[in-house]
Formats: sequence, C-alpha cells, structure tokens
Amino acid sequence: MTDQRKGSDAEPTTHFGFKNVPESQKAEKVAEVFHSVAAKYDLMNDLLSGGMHRLWKRFAIELSGVRSGNRVLDIAGGTGDLTRKFSNLVGPTGQVVLADINESMLKVGRDRLLDLGVAGNVEFVQADAEKLPFPDNHFDCVTIAFGLRNVTHKEDALRSMLRVLKPGGRLLVLEFSKPTNALMSKAYDAYSFAFMPLMGKLITNDSESYRYLAESIRMHPNQETLKSMMVEAGFDRVTYHNMTAGIVALHRGIKP
Amino acid sequence: MLLTGLLASVELGLNRVLRLDSTALPRLAHLTGKVIAVDCRNPALQLFILPSDEGLMLASQWAADVDCTLRAPASSLVKLALSKDKTAVLHAPEVELDGDSGVLLELAGVLQDLELDWEYELSRWLGPVATQLLGGHLRSRARWYQQGFASLNQNLAEYLAEESRTLVGQREAEARFSELDRIKLDLERLEARFERLSRSLDPSDNA
Repeated sequence: MTDQRKGSDAEPTTHFGFKNVPESQKAEKVAEVFHSVAAKYDLMNDLLSGGMHRLWKRFAIELSGVRSGNRVLDIAGGTGDLTRKFSNLVGPTGQVVLADINESMLKVGRDRLLDLGVAGNVEFVQADAEKLPFPDNHFDCVTIAFGLRNVTHKEDALRSMLRVLKPGGRLLVLEFSKPTNALMSKAYDAYSFAFMPLMGKLITNDSESYRYLAESIRMHPNQETLKSMMVEAGFDRVTYHNMTAGIVALHRGIKP
Repeated sequence: MLLTGLLASVELGLNRVLRLDSTALPRLAHLTGKVIAVDCRNPALQLFILPSDEGLMLASQWAADVDCTLRAPASSLVKLALSKDKTAVLHAPEVELDGDSGVLLELAGVLQDLELDWEYELSRWLGPVATQLLGGHLRSRARWYQQGFASLNQNLAEYLAEESRTLVGQREAEARFSELDRIKLDLERLEARFERLSRSLDPSDNA
C-alpha cells in the first residue's frame, strides 16, 4: 500500500500523488513541490484549512506530554509551528530539534523562529526521516506533522524514529487521513480536487503542487493501516484520534 | 475540537490583556514548566493552565504530570476569576487543592496584582497624540462624575436630615444615642440600689 518494492531487475517504484515514479525520484519531486510552496506555506495552510491546522497542531501538543527539560525532535517541522510551542514547553534546560529534508522549508522555518525570538534551545537540522542522524535512545518525544505521506519508505522512517526515541518516549504522527463520514468524504474530495489547486494557482501560481497535495493525501494509509504500520515498526500502545471527522488523524505510539 | 478552539481564543485574549501589565509576564516566567489542572465540578470540565514568559497556555487535556490540581464548583471558579482577593477564595471550604499549592497561589498573586495599561494599548491603535487627548478627556470625565456623585450624596443627606427633617442627622443621632446610653446606665444603677435597699429591709434576712 505504501511502497511497491519490485525485484532487483527493475528499479522499485513508489507513488507520487496518483502517479508511480521510480523510488529514487520521489524525494526529488517532493523537494520541488516544497521549494515551490515554501515562501507562502503558512498563508496557504491558513487559507486551505480555514485556520484549522492550528487547532490540529495544538491538539498534538496537548497529547505530546512534553515538559520542562525534555528533548524533542520535530521532523518535517517546516515553518516551525510545533517547534515554537515545544521550545517554550521544554524551557532552557530542554532541547528541540527542527528537522526537515527540504532546505527551503528549513530556511523559512529558521528565519521565522529567529524573528519571533525563539532561540537558545532550538537546533535546525536538514535530515532525511528515513535515516535520522541522531544517536539511539536520544529523544523524549518525536513528532512528524503533515510530513509522513511525503516520505518514500514510511516503514524505514518509523523504524528510524523508534531508534532515536528513549524507551517510554512518544511518537506523534499528525497526518491527513480518511474521513469517517461518507457525505463529508464527498465534500472533501470536491474541495481538495477543485478548490485547492485553484487556490494554489491564484496565490503561488502553482496548481500542480496543490494537486499533488490532494493526491498524496488520498494515497496515504488510512487510520487503521498507519496504526498497524506503527505496531509493526515496534511501537507499543498505539492509539489514534480523529479530528474534523477524520480529515486529520493524530497517531500516538510509545517506545517499549 | 470545539473546546480546543474555544480555549485557543480565550488564551489569545487573555495573553493580550496580560501584556498590558509590564510586570505580569516576567513574573509568570518564574512558573515556566509548571502545569496547573483546574477540575471544575458541576458542570464537569477540566482544563490545564501552563504559565510561561509568553503568558498562559490553556489546554483541554495534558498528557504529562500536573504540579497542582484545583477542584472547585463553577461558582467558586467564577468568584476566583472576578474576586480581587483571590487567596481568600482559594481558602474557602468548597475549594480543594492537591499538589504544590504554591504554584497556584503565585499565579493567583500575579493575576491579582494586574495593573493594566490601557493607554499604551490604545496608543498602538490611535497614536500617542489622540490617545493623550482621549485619555485626558476620559480622566477628566471620570473625575467630574466622581465629584458629582460625592456632592449629590452630600446634598441629598443634608436635605433629608436638615431641610425636610425626614431623617435624623448624624450628630443629632449620636447625641441622642449617648443620652440614651447614659439613661440606661442610670437606670441600671437605680435598679441595683433598689435591689440593695429591698434586701436590707427584708425581715427574713435579719432573722
């Protein structure tokens, strides 16, 4: 359902939206999308979600259980919404690492956080979620908000996150998911395939990136599948919370 | 999600108000990392308060341990929010505190000592000159109303006591009361004297 790894004779392919592309090209194509949208990422998030993304992230922070002195890794942290809150929660004795594979997003996030005066306990790292450059058992909490669907090998990324977490540490995956209501699902389809690319065209002059966004959401594993993937990766007590009728789900797992 | 949205809006407004007092945020910074749970009984509702140098964060749930839990009925919580003497409300019998109550008392102290600089906030929107004019005007109006009210009070009291004689004046009443007290004491002395005389004349006592 996530990655179609074929035999050794042909290069394995994976999905990029509704298209199948060689695995080696996905990261590059995702990078192109985010280079294109980075400058207006926050504005588009507010417009397309009607500000709801702030509440979804807020809920993730409430469930993170992060407290003073903790070490937190915010993968695919983008423009740093979660990092900003975590930096406040962990205080001067804690540490937050904002990691993103995309240089443009990381630069926007770093500049934005520095402009807001968030410094001292925050580090910025350009890193691939599948091969996290951190020691084992290092973080108290790892979050990935709206990033997992862009990762080529999700299983590898989940295992990598498990590795860097301390035993008892929490992984929070905030991601678009499958609406639980049929009527909502139809309205959501119409919204994402018609309105989102149109807004993308009008504001960033790039409808393709927002078409990819809509398609990648449909290709992302649903709530139960992601839960079983987390269990398979080795997480314990995996639970999920649907938000806004399942449009977004927050999965939480604990490292045993 | 609805409650989360509501709390987010309240938090935004509350932090804006806290920023109007220049001492509130530095004092709240001492409480960074502390978590206060407010457990409202009747109606059942739980909320978490996390103070920091950016203000207060309100959450509908919190996965980490809390430092202090305040359990009280909604009426006491409203009283706590509105009262000037917050520590007195915290000592009421229907209010329960668990954990480190010092955190809550310190937060209550910060909120109690709030002195909001409305003029500063207004000057950000209207500019310094307009704010100065408006502030001066409002202050003189407030003074005028205060003086007017005090003078109305005095005039009304004087009219009722001196002119219409509907009420007794304060000094007159005091004189009457002291006269009454004196008469009462005299009466008690007289009664005691009668008692003593009647006892000395009683033949059964001599027997």
